[in-house]
Amino acid sequence: MKLIESRMSETTWQIALRLTLLTSSAVLVGLIVGHIAAALAIVFAGYLFFQLRNLLILDRWVRFRSVLSPPDIGGPWGDVIAVIARIYRRKQFHKQRVVALLREFRRLTDGMPDGALLLGEHNELLWFNYKAERWLHLRRKRDFGIRIENLVRYPAFVQYLEHGDYTQSVTVALSGEQEQWLSFHMVRAEGSSQRLLIIRDMTREMRMEAMRKDFVANASHELRSPLTVISGYLDALADDAALDKMWREPLEEMRRQSERMRTLVEELLQLSRLESVRGPHEEQRVDVPGLLALLRKEVLAHEHHPEIRLHIDSHACLMGSEAELQSVFTNLISNAVKYTPETGTVDIRWWHDEQGAHLSVIDTGIGISQEHLPRLTERFYRVDQGRSRKLGGFGLGLSIVKHALQRHGATLTISSEEGKGSNFTCHFQITRVVHESPRTLEADNLFVMK
Amino acid sequence: MEKADLSHHILSRFNADLERVRSNVLQMGGLVEEQLAQAVNALVMGDSAAAELVARNDHRVNAMEVSIDEDCNRILATRAPTAGDLRLIVAIIKAITDLERIGDEAEKIGYIGSRLATMERPADRYREIKHLGRLVEEMVHDALDSLARLDADAAVAVAKRDRLVDEEYEALQRQCITFMMEDPRSIRRALDVLWVGRAIERIGDHAKNICEYVIYMVHGKDVRHVKLEDVEEQLRARANRDE
Repeated sequence: MKLIESRMSETTWQIALRLTLLTSSAVLVGLIVGHIAAALAIVFAGYLFFQLRNLLILDRWVRFRSVLSPPDIGGPWGDVIAVIARIYRRKQFHKQRVVALLREFRRLTDGMPDGALLLGEHNELLWFNYKAERWLHLRRKRDFGIRIENLVRYPAFVQYLEHGDYTQSVTVALSGEQEQWLSFHMVRAEGSSQRLLIIRDMTREMRMEAMRKDFVANASHELRSPLTVISGYLDALADDAALDKMWREPLEEMRRQSERMRTLVEELLQLSRLESVRGPHEEQRVDVPGLLALLRKEVLAHEHHPEIRLHIDSHACLMGSEAELQSVFTNLISNAVKYTPETGTVDIRWWHDEQGAHLSVIDTGIGISQEHLPRLTERFYRVDQGRSRKLGGFGLGLSIVKHALQRHGATLTISSEEGKGSNFTCHFQITRVVHESPRTLEADNLFVMK
Repeated sequence: MEKADLSHHILSRFNADLERVRSNVLQMGGLVEEQLAQAVNALVMGDSAAAELVARNDHRVNAMEVSIDEDCNRILATRAPTAGDLRLIVAIIKAITDLERIGDEAEKIGYIGSRLATMERPADRYREIKHLGRLVEEMVHDALDSLARLDADAAVAVAKRDRLVDEEYEALQRQCITFMMEDPRSIRRALDVLWVGRAIERIGDHAKNICEYVIYMVHGKDVRHVKLEDVEEQLRARANRDE
């Protein structure tokens, strides 16, 4: 502030000094000639002309400052020109830096393996990089300002854009000569109306996934036929009375192992079937309370089992595939029974609220430690290899549960504490729930009659 | 390049309405594109389940047509649009009819596809159909792009491609006739293939119609039943005059 004041006073003093000199010399000349007024007028007119000329020079230079060099004028006008020139130079310097930075940024984003688009408030395109331009057949400049859903019209993508859960991404198969899969992921910045859309090429992943599915399906199918022959002969041999006693024990073991293998192949086939078909095809009313009662009796029929308590708080039924839902419930219940000692309890609870219907299987078994929880539904994932094998598991059960639930639009939550027990809960959406008169008793009677 | 400016209305609600209707048409187009691609793909792959799914999903296209039609009627009745806005609405009303027809043709391809899947597949694995389908899929896609960008030049270019589709259909026809003469047992299949080819060729015509509406919307010029070369000539003359 001090500096500004001193600079200002300096210029003011200069001007004042000049004016005083000019006026006094004019008065002096006027006194000599005898016409003070005329002399003053002539001198001031000259001064005014001089100022106006400088103003015109300044105006011309300010207009064409990018091509002209600053004019050389002394006095206060020179100061003004120097100040403007300095501001202009500084601005040029910053502009060049920003432009260079932007150019660098563009070059970098064009080299990115992913596509990126910047979207405005109404999903209009603000900017995109080279990969996005090529994959989505966009045109630079021309397409800026157009809404993205008008140009990228894949229904799955539009659905995601409008009502999607932006924590997830959506994968879309492109139409075109070559098979291509793109996954879109929206990133929203906090407090900004603009959004960033990241696009990744998923073609390789999708192909690998398809290959893996095909392989599992084919391999398990091919394994099944020879296995049937082997177990057939083993059964026949076991029934043979003329068989040497020495062979009894090994034969039994062989039968047990071939049965184990058959179960494994069946589960693999079931899993690959669940994966390959999109959405549940057969829709029927599934009486969940009845089904649960049946499953409980099945467990009770075995020799060693913990106490099983059934809490049916709702008579809601589900729309879906009975076979798939049964395998979900069977897997959850048999898991709970498997990992719970005979002194423990397994609680099965079925209830509904405004969100939908829920099924909980709560046991007081050995529990699962935290680090295993996220990977629990991966196929062949086992917490303890040795123990699971002893109990006759393959690590496929929860995979089947996950896929079957996904096909019904349901989710699975798992909570567990090591040594205390676990809680597996399935959540079904309200749209799948139908309310029907209870049929639990009927199902019970059916079972008894058998 | 003339561009229909949709942002000049003082009534911003009107703007939003117009913009939404246009967006909805393009979304309907996206659905139709997907239906067409899946129908052709299911036929070529011999996937009867996927083909049936296409046939069953046609009602979604129809529902969109009805709702867009209603929107357009409402805009006509309450806003009384003029000039460019009126052209936009008129063009949209026409375009959705064509899109709906494309959906119907895709449904037809789906039905025939699910039937063909049960029959023995020919040695060429429906290569001709695949090729023809690809051509027309691109036409529909580019026609809708020109609608999104209001790009009349691109629309003319797309409309010109319809001739190529017609030629390819001719070739397919000749091929099918040869098959039928060689082996009478293949007549049933060849007839079905011919029907599919016919449906795809019709889709090409509908795509061409949509292009014509785009030209109408942008330049206010009805170019139906006019030779495409003449249209191009006129548009060029207009552009020169504007400059």
